[in-house]
Amino acid sequence: MIVLTGLGAVTALGSTLPSTWERVLRGERAFSKVSLFPADGYRVDLVAEVPSIDRIDSTRPGAPADFSRTSELAITAAREALAWAGLAGRQAHGSRRIGLVVGGSTAGMLETEMHLAVGLGPDGAGPVAHTVREEQLRRMLSHPLSAPTDRLARELGPFTRVRSLSSACSSGANAMLVGASWLELGLVDVVLCGAADALCRVTLSGFNALGALDPEGARPFDRRRRGLTLGEGAGFVVLERSEDAAARGIDAVCSLRGWAAGAEAHHITNPEPTGAAPSRAMTAALARAGLTVADLDYVNAHGTGTPLNDLMESKALVRVLGAEHIARVPVSSQKGQFGHTLAAAGAIEAAITALAIANGIVPPTGGLEEPDPECPLRHVLKTESRPIRAALSSSFGFGGMDTVLVFGRADLPASPAASRGRPARARSVVVTGAAVITPAGIFEGQEVATVPERVCAEDAITFDLAPELDLDRARRLDRGSRLAAIACGRALGRAVGAGPCDAGVVLGNAFGAVDGTAGFMRRLGEKGARLASPADFPGLVPSSPAGYVSIYLGLIGPTLVVADLAASGECAVTQGYELIAVGETDRVAVVAVEEKSTIVDQVFRVVFAPDEHRSDVAKDDRPRRREGAAALALAAEDAAVAQQLPILARVVEVRSWWNDDPLAAAPKPPADASRAIVVMGTAGAATDALLEHAGWGLCRRVVCADQAGSHEAVGGIAVAVGAATFAADPTVDEVLCVGMARGSGYAISLARWSARPS
Amino acid sequence: MQSSDLKREIKQLLVSELNLAGRDPNSIDDEAPLFGSGGLGLDSLDALQIAMLVEEKFGIRVPEGDEARPIFRCVGSLAEFIAKERDAKSNPEGGGAPR
Repeated sequence: MIVLTGLGAVTALGSTLPSTWERVLRGERAFSKVSLFPADGYRVDLVAEVPSIDRIDSTRPGAPADFSRTSELAITAAREALAWAGLAGRQAHGSRRIGLVVGGSTAGMLETEMHLAVGLGPDGAGPVAHTVREEQLRRMLSHPLSAPTDRLARELGPFTRVRSLSSACSSGANAMLVGASWLELGLVDVVLCGAADALCRVTLSGFNALGALDPEGARPFDRRRRGLTLGEGAGFVVLERSEDAAARGIDAVCSLRGWAAGAEAHHITNPEPTGAAPSRAMTAALARAGLTVADLDYVNAHGTGTPLNDLMESKALVRVLGAEHIARVPVSSQKGQFGHTLAAAGAIEAAITALAIANGIVPPTGGLEEPDPECPLRHVLKTESRPIRAALSSSFGFGGMDTVLVFGRADLPASPAASRGRPARARSVVVTGAAVITPAGIFEGQEVATVPERVCAEDAITFDLAPELDLDRARRLDRGSRLAAIACGRALGRAVGAGPCDAGVVLGNAFGAVDGTAGFMRRLGEKGARLASPADFPGLVPSSPAGYVSIYLGLIGPTLVVADLAASGECAVTQGYELIAVGETDRVAVVAVEEKSTIVDQVFRVVFAPDEHRSDVAKDDRPRRREGAAALALAAEDAAVAQQLPILARVVEVRSWWNDDPLAAAPKPPADASRAIVVMGTAGAATDALLEHAGWGLCRRVVCADQAGSHEAVGGIAVAVGAATFAADPTVDEVLCVGMARGSGYAISLARWSARPS
Repeated sequence: MQSSDLKREIKQLLVSELNLAGRDPNSIDDEAPLFGSGGLGLDSLDALQIAMLVEEKFGIRVPEGDEARPIFRCVGSLAEFIAKERDAKSNPEGGGAPR
């Protein structure tokens, strides 16, 4: 059983979880006019802002370039959770393998959005002095989704494995789902999971453009509700196996019993009105917990206060709880008190739910006065004391990414049904399709193996993508999402409009829509908040490309984005593999995509000295920065065989490490080095040492970046090329794909697949 | 501006700004419903975008909520609203407003 042994949160109500909790129980609301930036002309400027605490001032002198309000909120909450769990300080970590999973969406947006608006235009020339510009480019180090994670890891590490993810407003909940999967797969002993988001102009103007903000402050489930109130903050929990916690004499706050994630595949901003996907996730999470609705004594709702969410969520709860329990089980949301903290919401609310269980106290829905008869739930207008055996916490994100967690009292007996559906060990995973897009063209299946030799005349993908797309369905997809959707469709062998498919989507992307954000911010500056584009805003959320792929192709499995700078492609493959190996889903479309961005190109020029580029080739022949996408269809082997899917390769093992000695995490040597090859995105001295150490030093090497170009998705191209090699080349039986980013690395071993004798 | 010119401008705006690729602005019927099936198949996010575009291009604020519903029915109703608001702007004392 997995237990929570540490909790931490920063919200507008308090800089620690206990201080937030106390004020939550009193029904206090922490809404005020935004002070972080001028918000003249914004329709609604009411927010839930974290009061000033020393370390989150991002303008303080001497702050490192990747410092952001988001990273400091994260570090504050993470430190509280580790201390709670008796793991404060490096000594306390001992020999334990501690993992770190961080969800987010805004990262360093607050620190970089004005630079993007004024100085760093996509055209490359802004009206600022050279030195200022260089400093602005350097501050872009705080911008990537992975930046707060990397900073947190440096401050509070060492950690064995690190993951940055985004599924918009369900990111915090998905961080826990991923952390739990690492414990179940035996990859870590302890895992620190959470999420953080700071307020910024992009989100406040964007949600204003969507008309999604209540001018009087969020009133979840109230008949007069008109929208949400944006908040900011961070939430973290420490998860470990109950026996490990007991062995080190730490009391569990409560247990994490079940979890499930799924996608609505409906619309980028609007919830699917019947609540089918949330109902499915609630039912699946309860089943995974081995519990039924009769065991539930509390529901911590997503409850944003928007007319559509609360109505949809009520329908889902009525359907799942049924007539007998809907009148009994109290339901509340704290978004009317500390606001909607976006990515952090699922993590903060999980911590609140844990305290509710541990203390036998049901927190109220602050701001709710007149319950909407269309939301016929057992509302909580004032704090109630009552024992809670088990509770459910829901998080629903932009793009329809829904995650539900089930928590239970630590002493609630484990149900024999709890192990149902869980693998005793990692399930075998196979690759059932691959597709790659480079400036040289679109390649699919066996043809993907030829990508390393395909000469790219251009750095950008200039051929027309329109013939590849259903333009009606694709009209909202930005270019990156279009590349991802085309690659995924090809890898899955799926026609558009073919009805729902239970595959999930894991999309690797390092930088998000940087140029799109610059355009949005410039428009905001020039035309004012009233004319911010509601249609462009959703595409700036880092999880949106995954959401768009899910909507475009009708994929309803777990859907999220992961980021790890230069190794974002390998990271996505690893995440997709883990979701299947642990039994979260049978099929995942893994896709890595990176668009050319003049802003990112400039950042690289300033940040990296020329000799820091990692490549085997001579300096002048260094791979050019290009763009591209790669998709792999992964499936559980038994499901692939049952569904008669074509199988390109078997995934033998996937290893990942963070700042550990990479040699300690080295993959197994090949069985026959003469029939084994290494396929890499980019090469370098660190990978050389690893290959030498692991017994792959003499194998033939294929480096994809030399033709496909160096970019953050090229590792995804390498794995796709590796998987396609078995069909293309009968002399190869084993392929190792290795990728490294600063501080982290991945080794993905593939082998020729053959049917097991029946 | 003639009402037919205004309608043509609105149609071009819809096609270009809402990425209705492959649709000929001239083929959009004045009375075809903008939302739901049987028309352009737009949704509430498009409605927000159209309201923002009307404010940007014509300097006219579209009311929010239920009041906006009849205005957003079709290209014809949108043109009618814009023309009326423009007249009211250029002739602020007209339209029977109390002095």
